[in-house]
Amino acid sequence: MCIRNETIENSGDNMTVEDTSGNTRVPRYQPPWNTPYIIGIGGTSGSGKTSVASQIVTAINVPWTVLLSLDNFYKPLTPEEGKAAFENKYDFDNPRAIDMDLAYHCLRSLKEGKCFEVPVYSFVNHNRVPGKSIRIYGASVIILEGIYALQDVRILDLMNLKIYVDADLDVCLARRLSRDIVERGRDLDGCLSQWERFVKPNAVKYVRPTMRNADVVVPSMSDNRVAVEYLVSHIRSKLRAKSYEHVKELNLLEGTDLTPLDENPRVHKMHKTPQVLALITMLLDKTVCREDFIFYFDRLSTILLSKVLENIPLEGHTEIVTASNNAMANSAMINFDKVAAVDLIRSGDCFIHSLRKTLPNVPIGKLLIQSDSYTGEPQLHCEFLPRGINKFKKVMLLETQIISGASMVMAIQVLLDHGVSVSCIDVVVFTATEQGLRRILNAFDGKVNVYVAILVTTEQLHNGNKEWCLSRFVERLYFGCP
Amino acid sequence: MSTEPFKNVYLLPQTNQLLGLYTIIRDKNTTRPDFIFYSDRIIRLLVEEGLNHLPVTPKTVATHTGEDFTGVSFVGRICGVSIVRAGESMEQGLRDCCRSVRIGKILIQRDEETALPKLFYEKLPEDISDRYVFLLDPMLATGGSAIMATDVLIKRGVKPERIYFLNLICSKEGIDRYHAAHPDVKIVTGVLDKGLNEQKYLVPGLGDFGDRYYCI
Repeated sequence: MCIRNETIENSGDNMTVEDTSGNTRVPRYQPPWNTPYIIGIGGTSGSGKTSVASQIVTAINVPWTVLLSLDNFYKPLTPEEGKAAFENKYDFDNPRAIDMDLAYHCLRSLKEGKCFEVPVYSFVNHNRVPGKSIRIYGASVIILEGIYALQDVRILDLMNLKIYVDADLDVCLARRLSRDIVERGRDLDGCLSQWERFVKPNAVKYVRPTMRNADVVVPSMSDNRVAVEYLVSHIRSKLRAKSYEHVKELNLLEGTDLTPLDENPRVHKMHKTPQVLALITMLLDKTVCREDFIFYFDRLSTILLSKVLENIPLEGHTEIVTASNNAMANSAMINFDKVAAVDLIRSGDCFIHSLRKTLPNVPIGKLLIQSDSYTGEPQLHCEFLPRGINKFKKVMLLETQIISGASMVMAIQVLLDHGVSVSCIDVVVFTATEQGLRRILNAFDGKVNVYVAILVTTEQLHNGNKEWCLSRFVERLYFGCP
Repeated sequence: MSTEPFKNVYLLPQTNQLLGLYTIIRDKNTTRPDFIFYSDRIIRLLVEEGLNHLPVTPKTVATHTGEDFTGVSFVGRICGVSIVRAGESMEQGLRDCCRSVRIGKILIQRDEETALPKLFYEKLPEDISDRYVFLLDPMLATGGSAIMATDVLIKRGVKPERIYFLNLICSKEGIDRYHAAHPDVKIVTGVLDKGLNEQKYLVPGLGDFGDRYYCI
């Protein structure tokens, strides 16, 4: 087994971007799913590609590893072709049977960080299942598996690692027979004739030559444990390098602009009225009991959410007749149904009680982003977003504490990838560090609005006694578990 | 932040949100559930604004990380007094902010014979003279019953400067009449209406608040 000329793209080389005037500026944020690590696994039918792929998926254990099969990209058959297929006379093993354009388009979209609907193919009906597809978004590792995974030049160019699984054709036949008969409901004679007529000739003519496109050739199932372990440790080291680049880039987002955040019109600090300050004092007091903490946090967050809504865009003006039967021209119209919220599990959940009291019908999306304990890299684990989230005029993004800002930067990117306009996003947060806020503002051209109750500046942190803003005490006390 | 268009009158900031909320509750086509919900939203803002005027004193607490934080804590105790029936609609908003607040009640109705307001019933905390009082009545039109209710409070020993009269809607005429009787009471309100018509109803107004909140 050998590994050669593998490429890994990271943005480390173009950290700063030259604009037309020749000045360097802070780079935009590149989420890890804009540089997914793409692995191709090819090999003849029945060679054990799926087994190698699943061993890799299990071993690297990265959230959002997507295992794609080229089987999903079979072309839909015409009625005549369908008839031939049912009589085992259709050549599924010819490269032309696969929609390589669509497969390429899919990988391209995922590589650009966009969401893609992968069709679902039915082997029983020999057609795409109508109205059914698998939505893929935010993958940081993509494994494309299929007999022709290493054939199309365009697809090869997108791959970081190309693996060919090699097996003796007799072994392949044996595996194929048991799979097609048991799992795909075919009969023995049909399978044998298909093997002789299509599978074997195509394997020899088209599949085996793709071996030369591979970086690595892995022997088939029975004795490939060492080879796969070796591959996995190689992939791990590449992924770790990618994580460090991501973290490094996140840190760079802080920028060098030192204009005080108080002067930034996008940063809306809560007025420290006597009430607000008294509430904050009770919340920061370590002797506060949980019951009080929850009550006072709900109160404070209600005030904060109301502040966010103060700026709700008007729907125009209209004439109404009041219940006292007086006409009123030019009455300001607002529509709270144009507001959506997305919370970051678990800390953003602390806002939900107040949010429901303020906007009972508000659609609420949820994102789970966690930091890897080893690299500190934020990772998107899952995203549940309201349908048509790009249609809302205001999307509140809720998190109780911003410390490094990394997960919030990632959350904003998820919304942008789903078509939400950056100026519609309102970040709502209880405590935030200056460093975290600067990253968020810089990552998106300073266009995101931030509503914050307590902002701790870097200078205050250096002077000591504000360390509490670096501990996630809010969610711990609100939910009562560590 | 609120403004003080007249002495001792605090007006909520006229934001898009507040203007829109008033459009909803004024509109005669608004259904009762919506009327209640959006009135409650405004009431919450009024209560928060009222609470902001209460005195506080510096307080230092130890935080979870062992550092000190210097903030403030409340001094003095409060109670709510609602003018039955419409004022009772504002009690929940007060309770949502102050969980176990004491609430007194005053019932004032128009005497059919004299056409003047008449006190029918009062139930107030015994130690009310030591407390800050939030007087609750959603509409300040002529100020007749509010003036009488404030008389009751003062007779019980409450200091006028410790009374905050919270209402959703008022007029300059009502403010002037009320302040002529009780100049030191602070009025917290959300909107100033144009004035009163011949029947002494607010214009443009929002109908009978109690009826819309409880019955219609």
